[in-house]
Amino acid sequence: MALRQAEHLCPQAVFVLPDEEAVIRIRELLSTALYDLAPTVEVRDEGIAWLDLDGVVHPGEAIREMRRRLLKAIGREPRLGLAPGPFSARLAASSARPGRLMRVEDARVFLAPHPSRALPLEVEQLERLDLLGLRTLGAVAAIGPRELESQLGREGRHAVLLARGLEPDAISAWRPPMFTSAHRQFGEPVEDREALLFVARALCGDLAEELGLRGAGAKHLRVRLGFEASEGEQRESVVRHPLSSQAELFGLVGAWIKEWQPRAAITELWIELPVLEGAGRRQLRLWAGSDGSSDEVIAALERLQERFGDEVVWKPA
Amino acid sequence: MQEVALESAINSIRVRFGSQALTRAAELPPPQPWPSGSPLDRLTGIGGIPRGRLSLFTGAGTSGKLTLALELLARATREFAHAVVIDGGGFDLSSLDSFSPEQGPLTIVRAPAPETAGEATAMLARAGARFLLVMSDVPEHWLGPIESGANRSGTVLVGVVESPGRALAHASSFSVAFARTEWIWERGLLVGLRVAVRCTKNRVAPPLGETELEVRYPLGPRTLRDFSAGVVEASPRDIAEVRPRASAAV
Repeated sequence: MALRQAEHLCPQAVFVLPDEEAVIRIRELLSTALYDLAPTVEVRDEGIAWLDLDGVVHPGEAIREMRRRLLKAIGREPRLGLAPGPFSARLAASSARPGRLMRVEDARVFLAPHPSRALPLEVEQLERLDLLGLRTLGAVAAIGPRELESQLGREGRHAVLLARGLEPDAISAWRPPMFTSAHRQFGEPVEDREALLFVARALCGDLAEELGLRGAGAKHLRVRLGFEASEGEQRESVVRHPLSSQAELFGLVGAWIKEWQPRAAITELWIELPVLEGAGRRQLRLWAGSDGSSDEVIAALERLQERFGDEVVWKPA
Repeated sequence: MQEVALESAINSIRVRFGSQALTRAAELPPPQPWPSGSPLDRLTGIGGIPRGRLSLFTGAGTSGKLTLALELLARATREFAHAVVIDGGGFDLSSLDSFSPEQGPLTIVRAPAPETAGEATAMLARAGARFLLVMSDVPEHWLGPIESGANRSGTVLVGVVESPGRALAHASSFSVAFARTEWIWERGLLVGLRVAVRCTKNRVAPPLGETELEVRYPLGPRTLRDFSAGVVEASPRDIAEVRPRASAAV
């Protein structure tokens, strides 16, 4: 419903406009949380997420993990639906109880009793359907696509295909941005190095968790300090070997902060990872139990050379 | 009520200093041994040098502690992808040659200052270097990160010092003290020494014990006998035979 229409219908109501930034942030949060569970993941602003489970080896595990992660991210049990396509899956999920999964084998049979108002049509088009006596999806599915197209235009044809469970729409995959950052604003300006290290460690933990979900590593690291009255200071470095764990990130960030001499009390701290390396380039602990951490050891030796000079590390061979 | 307060305190410590900062005894995994093939395996009580813990070799100069550590290092180079020496200035690569090490996995970190040694050890322990031989002083504030890093990655951590500071001694899980008992002379040549090795601290298993080792020097190509550098147990005494003494374990 348009805002103007709502105000007309209810003049006493206070209308709160959506916080666009918060919506985007929550969508990114959910997308990041679900990104590695399936090849295609889509999260919509209205709080719906789809996973295309085609090709997923253990779909049951992916669904369980999705439930767990969503619960952690939003703090509420999600409703889950498993169906042949996104439209029927959405309706299945809306019919499920919180924390439960509704599984649909035959989409057409499942959709038939649902009201036609579930179709993604304009209000006028839905009223038209009502006038035509097409009050359920079963009724919409029973008429020919061309017949409804002649009444509602292209959306009418689309609506019939949806009602028949033919799922004409595909999920549009979310692509993670190739950069990320974490930021903390302090209520009181911080002068204590220990406090700054504590916050930096927590931010590195958040970033590492995100990198872990995306299977990515940071090739470039930047730390910025903001001050109350003067221009901020920053330090950055391109690393030879991508950093992905909290220990790796905090190893570098912590070392910088320990020797940093800020000119004033700090009001804001940013840790930015402007360049990420794609997933699959680095598979740490692949040979778990033996020497799977070899990459990490080499990376640690390289970081020692970056910090203290090449001569610090010597390989006799 | 007290339990709730305790749980809250534990949680706040973990939030403040990281999840590894505090571990309940019941949550600790049992120590895993690295069978080194040396007589020390018996002294640890678990059949090998404990992984993920700091083992400390202490004793005056020429007591054989470094020779034994080098033998472990050479063995580590043959078994692991990475064996690292944190060298505070006293490491001579040629002293390792007679133990037939693999050169490929060996890396030496030359730490100009104890601070660097501490940071390098913590970083490599965390990264999962399988064997770390620490021959340098390590500042006290690095011992925590080193311990937790090694614990997570299962790194075998061996420190060689003449007399450990209080913090280092406290951080170690297994300490052995070396004391030379006599020189070994054969045909007028000094060929080695006998060493009494006493376990002074053992957090990984109950027994404290001692044994006697014979450390043979390499004599080069003109050996009188088929000498090879190495450490052998001269007259192994069963741990049970050692007279019980006050426990030094913490």
